[in-house]
Formats: sequence, C-alpha cells, structure tokens
Amino acid sequence: MYKYDEVDVNFINQRSNQFTKQVERYFDNELDDDQFRSIRLRNGLYQELHAYMLRVAIPYGTINSKQLVQLAHIADKYDRGYGHFTTRQNIQFNWIKLSQITEIIADLAKVDMHAIQTSGKVMRNITADPLSGIREDEVADARPYCELIRQWFTVHPEFSWLPGKFKIAINGSERDEIGLQFHDLGLQVVLNDDNELGFSVYVGGGLGAAPMLAPNIKSFVPEQDILSYIESVLRVYNLIGQRSNDKRLRIKFLVKKLGIERFSELVERDWLASKGDDDIKLNAVKLNKIKQEFSLPIEPIKSITNNTTVDFNYSIWKNNNVISNKIDGYSIVYISLSQLGSAPGNIYSDQLIQLSKLASSYSLGEVRTTKKQDVVLPYVRNQDLYVLWQQLELFDLSSPHNSTLAHIVACPGADYCSLAKTESISVAQRVQQRLNENGILFETGELGLHISGCENSCAHHHVADIGLLGLNKGEENFYQITLGGGTKHKTVLGKKIGRAVSSDNVIDAVEKIVGVYIKNRKPDENFNQVFNRIGIQLFKESVYA
Amino acid sequence: MLKVKDIEKKQKNKNRTLRYIEQWILEKGKASDLINGILIRPTDDVESLAVTLNQAPLIAFDFNNFDDGISYSQVKILRKRVGYKGEIRAINVHIDHLQFIFRSGVDSYELLPQYKKYNEDYGIDFSVCYQAAENNVGLLEKHRIY
Ligand code: SF4
Repeated sequence: MYKYDEVDVNFINQRSNQFTKQVERYFDNELDDDQFRSIRLRNGLYQELHAYMLRVAIPYGTINSKQLVQLAHIADKYDRGYGHFTTRQNIQFNWIKLSQITEIIADLAKVDMHAIQTSGKVMRNITADPLSGIREDEVADARPYCELIRQWFTVHPEFSWLPGKFKIAINGSERDEIGLQFHDLGLQVVLNDDNELGFSVYVGGGLGAAPMLAPNIKSFVPEQDILSYIESVLRVYNLIGQRSNDKRLRIKFLVKKLGIERFSELVERDWLASKGDDDIKLNAVKLNKIKQEFSLPIEPIKSITNNTTVDFNYSIWKNNNVISNKIDGYSIVYISLSQLGSAPGNIYSDQLIQLSKLASSYSLGEVRTTKKQDVVLPYVRNQDLYVLWQQLELFDLSSPHNSTLAHIVACPGADYCSLAKTESISVAQRVQQRLNENGILFETGELGLHISGCENSCAHHHVADIGLLGLNKGEENFYQITLGGGTKHKTVLGKKIGRAVSSDNVIDAVEKIVGVYIKNRKPDENFNQVFNRIGIQLFKESVYA
Repeated sequence: MLKVKDIEKKQKNKNRTLRYIEQWILEKGKASDLINGILIRPTDDVESLAVTLNQAPLIAFDFNNFDDGISYSQVKILRKRVGYKGEIRAINVHIDHLQFIFRSGVDSYELLPQYKKYNEDYGIDFSVCYQAAENNVGLLEKHRIY
C-alpha cells in the first residue's frame, strides 16, 4: 500500500489550512455563495436537502485499518454514527455542519485522508478494480499508475477549472469490472507486439441522461508518455469543451459533437507538440520505485485444512463471498454492506471499528472498497476464513449475498440528495422484502439491481442486470427499467424495456422480471446469460401484460 | 517556487491599454505608446494567432470568471508552443486563483479591487506541489517521477 511521506502530509495539511481560511471568509461574507460553492465542491462538500454532505476520497478504493477507525470517529462525532460507501469507492457523511467542516478535514488529515477533488468541475478521485494486484489475469497492477495520476492531478495548475467533472478509471486486468467505458477517461493497461507496457485510451464515456460508452481513441500510448497524452486530452477539452450549457458540460458531448476521428486528431496534434517535454515524461527508474510500493505483501503458503465442523450458513457465505487470491493459500473476502432493511452502502461506526480490527488481524490492515458499495479484505489466509466469518456474524457483516439480488446498489435518492426525483433506498428495501416473502431472494444467483433517484445515475443503473431510474411525472413518481447492462467483461448499456412504471407497480415489475429469469434459466446460468439468450421480449410481455 | 513578489517585479509594462486582437491590428501603426497590449478572449485560438501575438509587448488574459479555467491552457500554449517572449499579464484575478495563476506561466497579475486588503502572500498556501509547472520545478526529488 502506498504510504504518505512528508511531502504528501505537508500537502494535505496545507490544503486543509487553505480551506479553513476560505470557510472563514465565507462566514465573513467575503466570498459569495457561488464562489464558495465552487471552492467547497473542490473540497468534497455538498449542500444537500437537510445538511451538508462530505465526500471523503478513498483513492482507487484502498484504505487501511487506522483510517477506518478515524472514519468511525468522524461518524460518531460529526455525523449520526454512520457513513455511506459510494459507487465510486469513496465514503460520504450526510449530516455535516458547516461550522465543523474544518475540524473534520483536519481530523482526516491526521490519518492521511482528505476530500480533495471528490466533487466539482475537476479531475475526480480515481477508481480502479478493487482486486488490482491480486487478479490472476492482470497485464499489470493498475494501482501504481492510479497513485501516480492521483498525485499529478491534485491541484493541477492547468486543469483545476474544467468545463465539467472528469472521472478517470484504470484497469489492469483483461476483464473489465470497473466500467472503463463509462468514465470520461478510461485507461486499459495493455502490452504491444513488442511486449512493452502501455495504455489503450477510451475517452468520452458517461452515464446520466445521455449515456455514452467511451470510444477508443488510441490503441497504444507508451507507459512513459501517458501523462502527456492525458494532458492533451484535457487541454482539448479545457479549450473547446462546452461551458455555457449546464446539461452538456462533460467531455462526452464534445466527443459526440466533433466525432471520434476529429477529436482524436486534435488530441494527437497537441500530443505531438508536447510529448517531447521532459517535465512530463515518466522516468523508468523512479516509476519502478513507485511500483515497488505496491508489491504484494504476501507470499504463497501451504493451506492448513481445518477440521472445524462448518455450518450451513458459513458454506453459503463462503460460496458467495469468497474467491481465491492469485497467491496460493490466500483468499479474497467480500463483505456486503447491503443488509436487508438498511440503506445499501451504509456502515455504522461500530462496524467500521470491527472492520478495522478484522483487517488488522486477517488482512494485513488493508481493505478495498468496490463500486457495488461493499468492501473487500484482500489478503485472508484460507485457514482463517471460518474464524473471520464468525467475527463478521457478530457485527452483521456476514450477509452471504455478494452479487445476488439481496445485494442491491442504490443511490441516496430523495432521502438525502437535493437533486433526487424519487426515492431509491425504500425501493431497494421493498424489493428485498417482497422477494424474501416469496422465498426467492437468495435463490437468484448472480443478479444485480441498481437504483438511481435521478438521471445523474449515481447508482450506475445503466450497467446493471436490472436498472431502475427514478422519474417525476407531475406529482407522481415513476421508474424507467433497463435490462441487460453490465460491466463484466466489457461495458454494456442496458436496454429500456418500455414505458416507465409507477412507484406502486415497480416492485411487481421487478418480481415479474425475476420470475421470467428464474423460469428460463438453465443450470449455472446467470441473469446476463439468460437475457442474452432469450432477449427482451418475454420480460416485456410479463411486465406490461 | 517563485514568491509572489518575484512575479510582480516582472511587470514591465506599467501603463497598459488593452485591445482585442482585431482592434489592436487596426491601431497598431498609429497607436500611442499606451496601447500596447492584446486582451485574449476565451474564443481566441492562441496558436493560430501566433504571428500577430509575437509582435505585441503585452498579452493579457481576463480571469474574472471564477469558474472558468480556459485561460490556463491558453497561457500554456502561448508560452510553450507559440514561444511568446513578451509579458503575459493576468487581469481581474481572484485571490483564490492566485496559486494557479502563479504557476501558469504569467509574468504579472492584477488582483480584482476587492482583494486589495489581503496580504500579498495570502493566496500562496502551498510550499509543495505535485507537478512541474512554468514557475516551479514541481515535485521534490523523491516524488519527482517524471
Ligand atoms: S442519482 Fe440523482 S438522486 Fe441519486 S444520488 Fe445521484 S444525484 Fe442524487
């Protein structure tokens, strides 16, 4: 895991002091609301329905035990005892008082955490596969590049006031489980014919009201030139991206307007003029140094077979939530935070503390967060799995439903978010309740349901097996349903099933869709495979019958 | 890093009168000495105007719009790609932008009047930064991986 040194520590402390001064100026009426909005967003602070919301960065979803304890402290001291893991691997606190914000930021800085660039028209916190470094099929671990790019984009002198937000993801694996193509910039680590490392670059993806999969604009950029290439993409965007129409700020609209070819040409032209600049070329020796910071902290061990009498619940949990690490003798454990009856992604302070202890005891103090709002312990010895499960049981952290319908992804929706059109959390709860009553909740196998409360699509509903998007029509709430989206091997946008269904009918509709899936599935098939085989028609007929 | 004072000292053209580029071309021959600078608009393509820009002793960028960072890329292109050797001035600067202005490659800046009361070092909150930029060498050696 990357460790902050003096420079990093100084930097976040100085940023924290700067923000403190800016908050004071706002209180003294020396910054107007618009200016302060722009500044506070760049420091992760939103103004929501009932309070301020602070989004804390968890760069590429990696967090340690000490930081988890501090998050618990923040939840207890400044919030209502819980936080909420987001679909972009961050954590947010929904009940923040502006008068306490500078204290919170200072508390975060004590454990090398911050909220820099988690919102606003800037390069946002970078995301990566939570299994980076421990996947069998990786071309290379994405994390060193993530860290490098994190440093490079932090308070960048040229690109800190962009036309719109700019989200970057990096994937080092041959599977794409991070939805590379729904990011503004997606970097896929690849090898060229000469076996040299580099990146295949996708630009202009995004969900929201006009979902677009990012096209590939360059099949190979050598590793040492990646920063200059990203700069060229950003420079073109910064210079000619739309700034006046609030609905067309993202780079996807520029790519669409110019066409992929013209856009790539402009980037290429800028890049040819700038890539020779030594200031921005990666130095191989120093790059290797940063790679070493991410070298795996475990070595193969012989698994000791435990003779413990294992119980049925443990077996289900192990089956659904545990996969093997690429290092022999180790496992990767998913901990689902989507408990029945609670808001997906929510975690209470006692759970944070328990998670921290378990990470220290069983996973070398490291935890990863995922875009499905759950967490992963990356380095668990096989022989510790049963004891770990028993401990998780004590704190309600052992839900055995990773990737099943009992694990729903939902944005905060109308309960917290000022932009929401509809509720999300209550729909998740109603779906789970209904399917639980009918006895099929745990029988669905791999099936993802994602619910967004408005077109901003924070729950990534476009790329779910079943996606629900909340809409308002007059006084009434409706949900538009999409089916067959996914980010397993590549990013696929779901197809709209038909007209939106009312809030009263949405649970019936989901139940019918699940019914068609269960009726038609062959042994070992998941929803995605069934959908690809039988198409949308049967689902449509059952929902609108 | 340069200190703010160093940047201000580089202000060569004390009196300045700014014109948009078309007007500047028209007035060039006959203008008084005071009309010495070109004011770049967000829509101006700095690179394609290189020949004219290189003839002006002063080029200014307006940073009044708090949320708009287009000028940072224009300044970069003017300095790096066009190779402009004259004075680049940032005008109507907000103090919260100073840290960016400072590293963008401008030679001099003029704060908006409402910030007059601030100490000139107010906007310089950082002794470290992660990137190499026009006015600083960027990362300390340990961090400097490019
Ligand atoms: S999708 Fe909309 S309602 Fe949900 S969190 Fe995002 S902005 Fe808010």
